[in-house]
Amino acid sequence: MITFAPGNLRVPKWTRPVYMVAAGTTDYRKRYPEKKLEELCMMAFRMLLEENDLKLDPLEVKGLFNFASYGEFADHFQDQLLCEAKVHDYLGLDLLPNVGVKTGGATGGSAMLVGATSVASGMSDCTLVLGWERMDEVKTWTGNYYIASAACKDFETRLARNYASYYAPMARRFQEMYGVDERVRAAIAVKNRGYACHSPYAQQAGRHTIEEVLAGDIVSDPLRFLECCAMSVGSAAAILCSEELAYKLTDHPVKLYIAGGSHTLRTGDRRPMRIPLLPHETEEVYRQLYAEMEKQDGRWPGFESFGATRFAAYMAYRMAGVQVPIEDLDLVETHDAFTISDLQTYGDVGLTLYGREQDYVTSGNCYHTNPHTGQPGKCPSNLSGGLLGTMHAVGATGIFQCGEVFWQLQGKYDKFHGDPKLWARYGKTKPADWTSLQIKDPRRGLAISHAGVGSHVTCTVLERGW
Amino acid sequence: MADRVTLVGGPSKIAARGDVWIVELPRFGPEGTHYHTYGLLTPYFKGLTEGRLLGTRCANARCPISRGAGELWLPPRADCPDCHQPMVWDEVKPPAGYIYAYTYVERGGTGLEIECPYYQIDVKIAGVGTIVKSYLVDRQPIKIGDKVRARFRTGAEATHTALDLYFELVR
Repeated sequence: MITFAPGNLRVPKWTRPVYMVAAGTTDYRKRYPEKKLEELCMMAFRMLLEENDLKLDPLEVKGLFNFASYGEFADHFQDQLLCEAKVHDYLGLDLLPNVGVKTGGATGGSAMLVGATSVASGMSDCTLVLGWERMDEVKTWTGNYYIASAACKDFETRLARNYASYYAPMARRFQEMYGVDERVRAAIAVKNRGYACHSPYAQQAGRHTIEEVLAGDIVSDPLRFLECCAMSVGSAAAILCSEELAYKLTDHPVKLYIAGGSHTLRTGDRRPMRIPLLPHETEEVYRQLYAEMEKQDGRWPGFESFGATRFAAYMAYRMAGVQVPIEDLDLVETHDAFTISDLQTYGDVGLTLYGREQDYVTSGNCYHTNPHTGQPGKCPSNLSGGLLGTMHAVGATGIFQCGEVFWQLQGKYDKFHGDPKLWARYGKTKPADWTSLQIKDPRRGLAISHAGVGSHVTCTVLERGW
Repeated sequence: MADRVTLVGGPSKIAARGDVWIVELPRFGPEGTHYHTYGLLTPYFKGLTEGRLLGTRCANARCPISRGAGELWLPPRADCPDCHQPMVWDEVKPPAGYIYAYTYVERGGTGLEIECPYYQIDVKIAGVGTIVKSYLVDRQPIKIGDKVRARFRTGAEATHTALDLYFELVR
């Protein structure tokens, strides 16, 4: 739709609140031959039940489950239909009901959405959300073709068979439209890969420089290798439950709101429309932007922005009572599959105005420690290392992001990133220069799960429940 | 490297059933082939092989968006998403526009039929509401705004896929 009727903009209204009480994950690797897929899921499941300081024993918690929502991006990669049944059986959850969710890169987020609504509706008191991807059965360039099956098969897949080539024109257009310095994109890669150095789960941690990113090989102009995430293997999990159960399980539950949006996977088919305004925005703030767009034959959301992200944020903020994102949110996990998608998202979620995304990154507000002032950034992004630095085992990604925000809100970054035994579990040594990325007393965080060139997006607001 | 981009893939086989083209997409040899229909969009793919670029437009005067005078859709779609009525076919004339966005593809995924490197381009055409993705036959440096015209793989050269449409720079 390019115009909405009032009914389309109804804000979701749950019948009861939903809480997150635990998160689990594996580490992530480009290739993970040591374990079968369901064995990796068991790793994440055990961490979920055993390591989140829940007040009940793991098997007692398991005894509370009513439903499972599973995320798997592509049957192509697993080469297995009904993988959900295999995993469910392996985790010992038969005969409970489960559903498999598939919305491309946003699969993890959508699995959270389905899990949350199962609790919000009363169908379930306690829901397991678990996702995975095993992208190492095929060579990288065949994997790229599989992913490019998420472009339009009739009109676009044959034009690259490599997903970076569908993001690259957006990067090009964004760059020209807003005069973006490519060093800003490179800085995003440096930041997120740098944060990954502190994560035992990370697959692509690295201390890079802007010059190194820009000097790297080009995947699809203007995107360089270090600006793109990699094939990944692993699993992540979450427990969602009712309020009553949440406080039985932990004194530190996290309240969760989640909403989705979607948009055509053919970028060029995105017809111009008015920007749906977030609570803190007015038509007036975009008057100049519309005028500038007209000069450059631009359109919203066009190639520069993600309408689905804006729609999801529009709903989620109203559900959660977020008024001014930069003031009300303390951290965010963006879906930085490519540097450009991270950059574009800051406008979509209203951390800054559309057209000023570059300035937002250079302001330093998206850093743990603002490089200009040495003070904490206002809303650090991707302290987990993000998709660029840590993981994009697609079906797990949106769940992993929520898990990282959840642990930050609980003040448990160090517990889940700084324990040398955790590093040893994955065959790694905790770096001597490891530093904590825990932010001080965060109240609310945001996680963006994102598919295609913005085809499906979920926006999750997580909020301290104590 | 040659100045002009060429295809490395051969033509896809098609079978006609009435007015509809069904394209063969082999996976695991003859027994593993997918038979993929172009359905109501068959005129588009046929049009390319005849050197014509066809789009669809909504002609329904009661459509809340087009009011019966919609811009062309390219890629075409048989039904209007705004009023759900069948759309009508129209030829894009002239089949030319300017580069709205682009990328230089250094390497594509397995099975890519276009010889790398090449420009994948998004083309804005006057009278067309959407922006069509295609590829450029030229390899020299380009910029947003450069004018391009459509070219077609016709007759024996036709692949019977979207690759039958490509663009060249207008000098």
